[in-house]
Amino acid sequence: MTHTMPKVFGFLLVVLGLYLWIGYAITDLSGGEKKSSGAVDISPEGGEAIYWGRGRCFTCHSVGGQGSAVRGPNHGQFGEKFPLPMGARAVERAKVRAEKLGKPFTAVDYMVESLATPGAYVVEGYKNEMAVVYAPPISLSLKEIKAVIAYLMAQGGDLDMEAIDTKPGEVTAQFYAKISAAAEAGGGDPGKGAVVYEENCTDCHVLNGEGGETGPELTGIAGKGLKFISAAVLQPAKAITKGFETHVVVDKNGRQTVGLKSSDEAAEIVITKANGDEVTIAKADIKTITIDKNKSVMPDDLSEAMTVKDYQDLLSFLMLQKGAKKGGEEKK
Amino acid sequence: MKWDNAKGVFNLGLMARVGIAVLILFIMVGLPTLAHALETNEYRQFMGLDSRRLIWFLAQMHLFFGAFVLGVPLFAVIIEIVGWKNKDPKFDKLAYEFTSLLSVAYATTAAFGGLLAFALFTLYPTFMGYMAGIFKDVMFMYALLFFGETFALYLYYYGWHWLKSDKPFSPTVRLIFKVLGLAVIAFSLVFAFGGIGPEMRTDTRSFMVLLYILPTGIGLVIIKDLKSSHIFIGILLNVFGTAIMQLANSWAGFMMSPAGVDAEGVLVGTVWQAFENVLATPIAIHRMLGNLAFGGLVAGSYAAVKFISAKTPEDRAHYDWMGYISNFVAIAALIPLPFAGYYLGREVYSTSAVMGNNMMGGDFSWTFIIQAMLVGSLFLISNYYLWSGMTRIPGAERYYKFIKYILFALILSFAIWLTPHNLPLSAQEVGEMGGSQYHPLLKYLGLMPAKNAVVNLIILATFFSFLLYRRGNKQDVVSIRDQGKTARIVISVVGLAAIALVAQYAMTLLNLNPASLDLPADRGSFISVMGYLLLFECVAGLVAIVLALTDRGKLGQYLYLAVTAFNVTIFLGVWGFVVMEKASPVLRNVAVAQFLQLISCLVLVSVIDFFLFRDAKSVGKMQWGKMTVRSQYALLLLTFVITMNMGLMGFIRSGLRGDWHIFGIMRDTSEWAYTPSNFVMTQQVGAAVLLFMIGCAFMFWLGGIASGDKKD
Repeated sequence: MTHTMPKVFGFLLVVLGLYLWIGYAITDLSGGEKKSSGAVDISPEGGEAIYWGRGRCFTCHSVGGQGSAVRGPNHGQFGEKFPLPMGARAVERAKVRAEKLGKPFTAVDYMVESLATPGAYVVEGYKNEMAVVYAPPISLSLKEIKAVIAYLMAQGGDLDMEAIDTKPGEVTAQFYAKISAAAEAGGGDPGKGAVVYEENCTDCHVLNGEGGETGPELTGIAGKGLKFISAAVLQPAKAITKGFETHVVVDKNGRQTVGLKSSDEAAEIVITKANGDEVTIAKADIKTITIDKNKSVMPDDLSEAMTVKDYQDLLSFLMLQKGAKKGGEEKK
Repeated sequence: MKWDNAKGVFNLGLMARVGIAVLILFIMVGLPTLAHALETNEYRQFMGLDSRRLIWFLAQMHLFFGAFVLGVPLFAVIIEIVGWKNKDPKFDKLAYEFTSLLSVAYATTAAFGGLLAFALFTLYPTFMGYMAGIFKDVMFMYALLFFGETFALYLYYYGWHWLKSDKPFSPTVRLIFKVLGLAVIAFSLVFAFGGIGPEMRTDTRSFMVLLYILPTGIGLVIIKDLKSSHIFIGILLNVFGTAIMQLANSWAGFMMSPAGVDAEGVLVGTVWQAFENVLATPIAIHRMLGNLAFGGLVAGSYAAVKFISAKTPEDRAHYDWMGYISNFVAIAALIPLPFAGYYLGREVYSTSAVMGNNMMGGDFSWTFIIQAMLVGSLFLISNYYLWSGMTRIPGAERYYKFIKYILFALILSFAIWLTPHNLPLSAQEVGEMGGSQYHPLLKYLGLMPAKNAVVNLIILATFFSFLLYRRGNKQDVVSIRDQGKTARIVISVVGLAAIALVAQYAMTLLNLNPASLDLPADRGSFISVMGYLLLFECVAGLVAIVLALTDRGKLGQYLYLAVTAFNVTIFLGVWGFVVMEKASPVLRNVAVAQFLQLISCLVLVSVIDFFLFRDAKSVGKMQWGKMTVRSQYALLLLTFVITMNMGLMGFIRSGLRGDWHIFGIMRDTSEWAYTPSNFVMTQQVGAAVLLFMIGCAFMFWLGGIASGDKKD
């Protein structure tokens, strides 16, 4: 065995050498190592670090000949399909968007829209499958998103840092507000959050004039802050709104009814149970009526009914509910 | 203190294992309560080293040794059972020899495990504080299972000769074990169908039934003497080992697909939910099969080294045989591994499309090309070893002519498997290709349908090699009609079970509502076509059974193999592209249809083959030891390649989280929060492979000293 081992290890070293060479060649072929970007400035350089780093844009996009991903459009000038680099292309796309929406749309607006609402305009030949970059797992901050926009606008376009950062136009500002709200809520996707809301909340809560009235109205709920909303969803008993306490009514036959007191007339009260059923009880029949501070009519098992992603999406949706005008249009 | 052969090594293993278990318990008890997930993470360094690479290296070493320690007992017990049932001491001796390899590996695994735990707790205190808070109960159980595994292994190895008597126990004792065993089996059936236990995923439930409860029940039923009691201890050893692996996998799975916690990482569900996260069981299944293949090949490399350095024909014959068994074990585990990998990948996509895209089209797309090279090499070299093995079989030369066709199929499949979907090209090159970044032909070979088709072909080709090997020295088939009822019953029952596996999925597809896959109703035909194809496969299977029962078994085998090859590689290979274009959600059903047909084919053809050549006249006796040294280097190369591949797969699995310690919950805010390049990966894994192999050489050397002492 003593004589065999040197041969075996010699053989192993040859195999490992080949392995290393393959690793080196493939790294070289695919554009080298992508280091951590760390904190970045709102600048094309900062955006470049995000684009090729933790933003993971390179997973689906390339910039000209840099990178090999083709899932999404190339962001550089590349072949007949992409005769213009992204900055110049954004100017052309903005015209298309302005025509379609019937309002002014700048190149920066287009770039911001493509990150805030990727499905709004899908380039022909590609699928609407872009990830929400301000939601986990990518979770870019608004500052990082601005940096990426600066990087992309610098690809053959006019780099207007004021329009990107300090003095954004109306459209861009709206998108930034959406991104900020979503990011603050753990980076959920408000669009998907609306679906979660529809499935779980709308039967009991009014939002912008629509929905059931078992629970408190949620129009303008964003004003109460993220912590309050988060606690109200996960532990409803700890954040009961005044007027929505859980009443426990025991009648003279010993029957117990638990729910929200939705009506209190001279001779009778109406208790709305968690399932929405209304029970009318004559005051003369009531033996005791108490408020259970440890219990909410709202289900306390929503955390089990929703995934973490659903929860984040819902929070981001609720964080956008900053109040409504009479017509249901969101306040600016 | 005098160093006393394997006993000393084992005592060291026991002490290390128990000591580290106690220390881990101590650390956990001493930890602060649940650290908040989103607190600023604290990172520390040891002697200025890169903490991530240090953890990576230690985890890799722990996993290499751990995989060996978990893999070897799996087949050692099976070999022991074969020897026990056939009353063949040769198998019993082989099982003992395999087990003896565990001695140093066991202690080393524990040592690396302890080192890893200390490194994690000291270098990543916030992260580990959080994990210990969530998994406190699971970690305690993990540490306690150490004791079970240690004592089971201790008893299994040292009790081998002590528990070898086949003198039956008294009827009462046997009855008690039988009743107990039957009760456990009954429990496993109730458990399997969801009658007992918390709500859990089907895969977790199946995993626990098949690997814990059912083997324990069967182990109890077979107890009738000391030898069978020893086998039961071996089964328990595997149950403990697998449970330890499953618990640790739940942590790795949680880091990728957290469950039971809210967006801020606070536990709002149950510990069971956190434990049974989406990826926990798929990882456990993949690792289980990987461990088996890995354990087999490392043991095979031991046999290869011993063969190369053997001085006598007897030794050469023994180690040749040992190498053959090891390779056989590895191939048996390698065949279902791609499917387990596919399942894991599918669940990764289900967890997060971002993570999935990053896996197949992002950071790791090129790593998967390297992986395809390695896995393809594993199959190619395994086949080469089988073909080399045919030189020791008189009469096998009759089948040499088939080898070139198998080789062609393997190389073609291999080439397709590692064809990337696209390459980094210059604008000029793109212009030369008509403005597309995809090559007009090769772009199809880079897509999943093509890859799935060739993986199936590789497995079928390897299986065909194995069939040729098996019948190498057999003169001609034996009449199944003349073999009595047993042959007919077994072929019918096993064959029908295999067909039922396909048939049930055919019915599932035929009844599948396209809306459940978010498809419009007019796309239903893309699903039903596959249902009818599977029914056709079932008919072919039935014909194969009838042919086998009427003494035309070879024809039945060829028919079923041909139909399966056509269905899974050609028809579904092409159909995959159609589906991808028109009804992409159906693509996953294509893969399941391929897998079920392939498994059904392997099972039915194997069982027919078994009876076709049972007690067949031999052309000549197997000439163990008559193997080239080159073939032994092939065996060694298999070990090197699987070890490198394990490291690579670990890199992908862990790296998929990107810059998250816990995906979407706890961000990695350290300076190492980026995905290293493939070159860094090969450096890191290469260093771990080298050290592991040095460790193996040391293990083999110590094993040699131990056996030398015993001979003295």
